Amino acid sequence: MGRFHVSRKVSKTICYASLLTSMVFVVFMLFLNGEVFYTAHERSEFLYGTPFFHTLMSKPFGLMQYVGAWLTQFFYYPALGSAILALIWVLIFYVGKKAFSLTESSVALMLLPVACLLTSVVDLGYWIYIFTIKGYWFSQSVSYLVMLLLLWTARSTPRRWHIVWYVLGLCLYPVLGWFALLFVLSLAVIEKPSWREVVAVIVLIIAAPVWRTLLYSNIKPDDLVMAGMPHFETPNDVGKSLSIPFFVLGALTLLISSFGRYAKKWFVPALSAVVGMVFVTSLRFHDKNYINEMRMVRYSQEENWNEVLNIAADAEESTTTMTMLRNIALMNQGGLLDRSFKMGNIDADIYNPDTLHVGFLNTAAPLAYYNYGLITEAIRLNYEGSIQTGFSPFYLKMLSRCCMATGEVKLLERYTKLLHNHPFYSDWEPAPPTKYIKELQNSYSDEITGVENSDRYIVTSICLWDKVNSKVASEQALFYTMIRCDANAFWDVFRKYLKLHTNDDFPVHAQEAYILYLDRAPEEKRMMLPVEEDVYNRYKAFTAQLESKMKPGTKLGTVAMDMQKEWSDTYWYYYFFKKRTY
Amino acid sequence: MKRYTLFLLPLVAVALMWLSSCASHPTVPSSCKDTQCQPAIFPDYCDVTVPCNIAPLNFMLPTDEYQACVARFSMPDGQQQTYGDGVKVQIPESEWHAMLDASKGKSIKVEVWGQKGDEWLSFTPFEIHIAEEPIDEYLSYRLIEPSYVAWNYMEIVQRNLTSFEESQIFNNEITSVDREVGQCINCHSYQNYKTDNMLFHVRLSNSGTVIVNDGKVSKINLKRDVTAFGGAYPAWHPTAKLIAFSSNKTRQAFHTSNANKIEVYDEISDLILYDVEADSVSVICDDPELLEVYPAWSPDGKYLYYCKTIPLPEELRDKDIRSTYSYLQYNLYRRSFNLATRAFGEEELVYDAASVNKSATLPRVSPDGRNLLFAEGQYGCFHSRHRDADIVCMPLDKGCVVTQEESLPDTIQGRERPQLFDLSLLNSKDESDSYPTWSSNGRWIMCASRRLDGTYSRVYLSYFKNGKAEKAFLLPQEDPEVNTYLLKSYNRPEFMVEPVRISAREFSKVFEK
Repeated sequence: MGRFHVSRKVSKTICYASLLTSMVFVVFMLFLNGEVFYTAHERSEFLYGTPFFHTLMSKPFGLMQYVGAWLTQFFYYPALGSAILALIWVLIFYVGKKAFSLTESSVALMLLPVACLLTSVVDLGYWIYIFTIKGYWFSQSVSYLVMLLLLWTARSTPRRWHIVWYVLGLCLYPVLGWFALLFVLSLAVIEKPSWREVVAVIVLIIAAPVWRTLLYSNIKPDDLVMAGMPHFETPNDVGKSLSIPFFVLGALTLLISSFGRYAKKWFVPALSAVVGMVFVTSLRFHDKNYINEMRMVRYSQEENWNEVLNIAADAEESTTTMTMLRNIALMNQGGLLDRSFKMGNIDADIYNPDTLHVGFLNTAAPLAYYNYGLITEAIRLNYEGSIQTGFSPFYLKMLSRCCMATGEVKLLERYTKLLHNHPFYSDWEPAPPTKYIKELQNSYSDEITGVENSDRYIVTSICLWDKVNSKVASEQALFYTMIRCDANAFWDVFRKYLKLHTNDDFPVHAQEAYILYLDRAPEEKRMMLPVEEDVYNRYKAFTAQLESKMKPGTKLGTVAMDMQKEWSDTYWYYYFFKKRTY
Repeated sequence: MKRYTLFLLPLVAVALMWLSSCASHPTVPSSCKDTQCQPAIFPDYCDVTVPCNIAPLNFMLPTDEYQACVARFSMPDGQQQTYGDGVKVQIPESEWHAMLDASKGKSIKVEVWGQKGDEWLSFTPFEIHIAEEPIDEYLSYRLIEPSYVAWNYMEIVQRNLTSFEESQIFNNEITSVDREVGQCINCHSYQNYKTDNMLFHVRLSNSGTVIVNDGKVSKINLKRDVTAFGGAYPAWHPTAKLIAFSSNKTRQAFHTSNANKIEVYDEISDLILYDVEADSVSVICDDPELLEVYPAWSPDGKYLYYCKTIPLPEELRDKDIRSTYSYLQYNLYRRSFNLATRAFGEEELVYDAASVNKSATLPRVSPDGRNLLFAEGQYGCFHSRHRDADIVCMPLDKGCVVTQEESLPDTIQGRERPQLFDLSLLNSKDESDSYPTWSSNGRWIMCASRRLDGTYSRVYLSYFKNGKAEKAFLLPQEDPEVNTYLLKSYNRPEFMVEPVRISAREFSKVFEK
C-alpha cells in the first residue's frame, strides 16, 4: 500500500514537473518570437466592415479565419497576443482532458497537440511575408478548441443523441473545416458508432456534395477538400514541411481519442514534454538576421534611425534588407559616405532552409522606396504586396504615408479610417515625409518605366539622379554608383556631387572611390583633387597586399577572408570582393 | 433546466438578430440648431434625380463629426417616415419602393438632423427627384484592386439595381490550375443588354474567350491566322451573331512621379469581326501605322463606331512608344455595315478630338441612335487612368463631325457643327470619369469614376433627358460605408435587363473540356 502511495506521489511529481517545464518552454518560445508576432500583426489583414467579412464567409472555414484575423491584431503587443494564444492552449489542455477523459499521467498527452500548435507559429520563417492564409496565427488554435468543446459536449450527452452530433459535425464543416471532420472521426473513435450511425454518416457524406454545390458553387472542388488545413503555396513556392504540425495534430488527436485513456504510466508526462519540446525545437525557424530585419523595419517605420544603426552595428553580417535600411538611416543621420562601407555593404544571403523566393522586395522595399522619395514606386509595391497578402497594417500605414507625400488627401482619409478601426491604431496618423524624402521626391522628373520588380531597380534608379540639383540626391547617386562599381558613370556623378558639396568635407569613402577610379580611369576622365595622405597610403598598402595574395589558382573568397580583418572597412574591399552585382 | 438554457440561447440570439435587422424609426429631435446648409451626407444624394425602381439611397453623416443622424422623408401625398441608426440612414427596401411608387414623376423631400456632441443640428432640406423612367434591373462589373502588375482574386459580379442583391458571374480561381501563371478575367459584354448571348475573356492559365450563344457556353480561341493577337475589347452586333473586337498588343507602364501613376497603351491594335455561328474571324481594319480600338455598334447595327489614332508627327514616328505615348491621340470614326454581305463601308470621321488636342475613346451610341457618348482625355486610349478624363456626349442625328473649338467654322466637311451636351453635372472635377454606357431606354448614363479618392473607381448614374445630364449619384449600397471599406474598383460596368443565369460552376465546365 505504502509503495503504491509513494509511486503515485512520484508519478504526480513527474507529471507536475513535466507540465511546469513545458509551460516554461512555451513561455520562453513565445518570448523569443516576440518580434515575429509583432510582424505577424503588421503583415496580417483584418479589415473592419462587411466586404472583408463577406469575402471570408464565402469560403469554408471563413468564420474561423475571421476570428483568427481579428485576434491577430492583439500581437501589436506581442506579450498580449502571446498571452491570448497561451490562454487558448491552456483551455485546449483542460477541455482536451475532459473531452478525451484523460486522467492521472495521461493528462500530459495534451501537451502534444499544444506543441503542434506552438510549432505552427514558430516555424514559418520568411513565409510570414508572403503567405496568404487569413487569420493563420489563431484560427487553428481557436478551431481546435471549439472542436474539443464539441467533443466534450457530445460525450456529455446521452449515447442515443450521438447521431445528432455526427450530423451537426458534418453540417459544421463550413464553419470548422477540417476540424469538423476531426470532431466526427474523434467521436467515432472514442464511442464506437452503431451501424445506424455509420449509415447516417455515409448518407451525409454522399449528400455533402449537394450542400457543397448549394453553398459554395463558386469554389473549385479542390479548395473545399480539407478546408482550413493550411497549405503554404504561392505561385512560386510550396512549403510542404509547414503543414507537418497540422497533420501530426490530426493524427495525435485520433491516437489520443483511441488510446489516450490507457496511457497512465508514470513516464508519460516526461515523455510527452520531451517529445513536444524536441518537436517544436526541431521545426522551429531560428535566425538572428530574420529577427534583425524585423526590428530594423519597425524602427525605420518609427524613424528611429539610432536604433536601426545600433542593430546594424551589432549584427555580424547584413542581409540586403538590413544594408538598405542601414544606409537609409545613414542618409537621415548623416555620414553615409564616411560610415557606410565601414559597416559593410557586402550582403549576406538570408538564412532560408526552404527554397523560398523572399527578399528585400517582400520585407522592406516599400519602406525603402518611400524613404528615397520614390513615392509612386512605393505605392505600386504596396499595392502589389497588399493584393498578394492582404491590406495589412504595414501596407495601410505605408500607403497612408505615401498619400500624405503625394497630397492625395481623400485616399489618405480612407486608409487611415481603415486603420483607425484597429484596436491599437485608433489614434494613428502618418508622420509627415521628412525633409530628405521631400527633397528627393521633388528632385527628379517624371518618366515611365516597365515592370521593374527586382532589388536592383532601386539602386539603378538612384544612380540616375546625377542630373538632379539636390545635395541629398547627388550624395545618394554617388553612393549607389559606388555600390554598382560603375566606373563609366562614376565621374559624372562625382563631378555633380563635388559641385553641390563645394564647402563640405571630402568623405572618406568618396576619397577611397576617387583614388580607386582615378587609378583605373583613362587620362581624359581624370581630375585631380587633394585626398588625405592616410587614405592614399592605405590604398597603396591595400593594392600591394591584394597583388601579393592574388596568385594564379587562388580563390577570390580565400583572399577576401585573408584581407577582411584589415580592409573590410574600405570601399576597395567592397569593390573587389562584393558578392552581387547590381 | 440548465440543459434547456443551452438550447434557448441560440433562439434568443436569432431573435435579437432579427430585431436588430428591423428598421429604426427614430423621432425627430425636438430642439435643434439650424445650420442653414445642406447636410454633408455620404454619398451625396442631395437634389439628385433617380430611377423609379432604384434600390434605397442609404446614406450617412461623417462618423468623425456626428454621433447620430435622423432623416425624415416626406412624400408628395404628405406621408412621412423617419429613419436613422447611429450616423447611418438605411431604409428597408419594401418601404423605399413604396415611397418611390408614391412619388414617381415628383420629388421626395428629405430633412436631415445630425447630432454633434450634445447638440442636434438641422440642415437645409433637399429633394430626391423620382424620374418616371426606370433603370435596367441589372448591372455587371469586375471587382478588382486598382492593381499594377500583380493580381489575386478577381470576380465578375452582377448587381440587382432595384435591391442590394449581388451575385457572382465568374471568378478567376474556379478554373485556375496553374498558380504560377495565374488567371485574369475581363471584358464581359452582352448582346442588346440581354444575357443569352454574352462573353468574357480569361487570360493566361486556361485562357480563351468564353462565349454564351443562345445560352450555350463554349470557350473560343480568337487567335487565328489573320490576326496577330486574340480579341480584346468586344462589341456584340445588336441583331446578328457577330462580335467586333479590337485585337491588341497592350502594354502597361508606370510613371515615376506623374499623378496618373499608370499608363496603358497599345503597340498594335486592329479591328476584327468574329462570326459566332461560323466560328470565323475576319479583319475589319488593320492600318499598320495607326491604332484602331474600342468598337461599338449603332443600335440598328448599320454602323460600327471605333477610335483610331492620328499619325504621329514625322520626328516622333521612329521613337520608342515610351517617349511618344503622350502624343497619341484618338479620333472617333465609323464605317457602315451591310449585314447581308458582311461588308464594311469607307471610314468616316465622326469626332475630331485631336483638333482640340484631345483623345476620344470608348464610344457608345444611345439606344435611339441619336447621341454618342465617349470618354475624352488629353491623350491615349486608357482614360480610366487619366485624371483629366471626362465623359462627353454629342448628338448624332445631324450626322456630323464635331470639334470643340469655338473658333472653327460652323460647317466642317460641309456639315453643320452642333453643340456638345452639357454633362457638367455628371463629370467630376479632377478625377477620371470613364467607361460611359447608356441604359436600354437611353435615359440613364452610367460611368466608372475615381472621384471619391482618385484611386478606387465607383459606379455613378445620371439621368439624361433633352440633352442634359442631371447630377450624378453613386451606386446605392445597403451599407454606405462599403464604399470606404471595399478596397476594390468597379471595372467596366455594363447594364443588363436580365441576370446572367449560368452559374460560375457551369462556366467553369468549358475549361475542363
